[in-house]
Amino acid sequence: MIAWYRKLLCLYPAEYRKRFSEEMLAVLFQEREENAKRRLKNRARVVVRETAGLLRGALNEHFRMITEIHEQLSFVTGRFAMRNGFRFPKSTIVFMALILGGVLTAIKMGEDIATSVPHDIGPIAPIHIQPVHSILLGGMPLFFAFFYAAGLIGWAILFALRRSGVHRLDSMSVEQK
Amino acid sequence: METLPLTEPVLLILLSLAGQAQHGYAILKDVEAMSNGRVVLSTGTLYGALRRLLEDDWIERFEEEESPRGRQAYRLTPQGRRNLQLEIQRMKHITRLASLRVARQES
Repeated sequence: MIAWYRKLLCLYPAEYRKRFSEEMLAVLFQEREENAKRRLKNRARVVVRETAGLLRGALNEHFRMITEIHEQLSFVTGRFAMRNGFRFPKSTIVFMALILGGVLTAIKMGEDIATSVPHDIGPIAPIHIQPVHSILLGGMPLFFAFFYAAGLIGWAILFALRRSGVHRLDSMSVEQK
Repeated sequence: METLPLTEPVLLILLSLAGQAQHGYAILKDVEAMSNGRVVLSTGTLYGALRRLLEDDWIERFEEEESPRGRQAYRLTPQGRRNLQLEIQRMKHITRLASLRVARQES
């Protein structure tokens, strides 16, 4: 069982492992010794509890590490001195909404002009006009949701293959100027 | 970062260290005993909380003198003790208030 716990401890960030893993193993060892006298059902319960605790702990520590590094990066000057707010300011949302409104208005005006032209003129008249803006408005959230989900799945695969770069953050240090 | 009000596991860990310095396994057992078996911490949860308390300077780690293999133990810092007292004050206030309100409702 200790070998299992040792493997689970490998999931923690390197810095955390260096600081606490020996101590945690000693606690787990003591607990195993005490549980050896108990019934199988109780022993299994302890193993499940400890496994869940270690998995949750590892996840929390990785999450904390990532968020802490992001906080540090936002305050240093130089290469990494970019804050989320600067990369995507709120005003961008307003401008994007204005542009979308403009595009939809242009489509509507185009539609009106096309329908106002008599059909018997020949090749100038449109054969069939689709209500493009309604399709666009209905389809866009779906379109974004699809690509967002695809991006998430892709990132999860890269993370599982340890190719996302997050694991390298373990050995990364940021000096403040 | 730990903030007031404290969660029950963190409060019990601090209470466990309020009387004397303890090592990891002793804290686990003490928390279980104090809560009459209601709060049973896993090792991962305990050390996650200890790490946060160490970083916030509420507790400190030291090597036990008379222990095998230089076992590490934990104790409250003055700041940790102050925060624990603040939390106890807050709980006392709530308990007093609750008793008054409930008594008024019953009479």
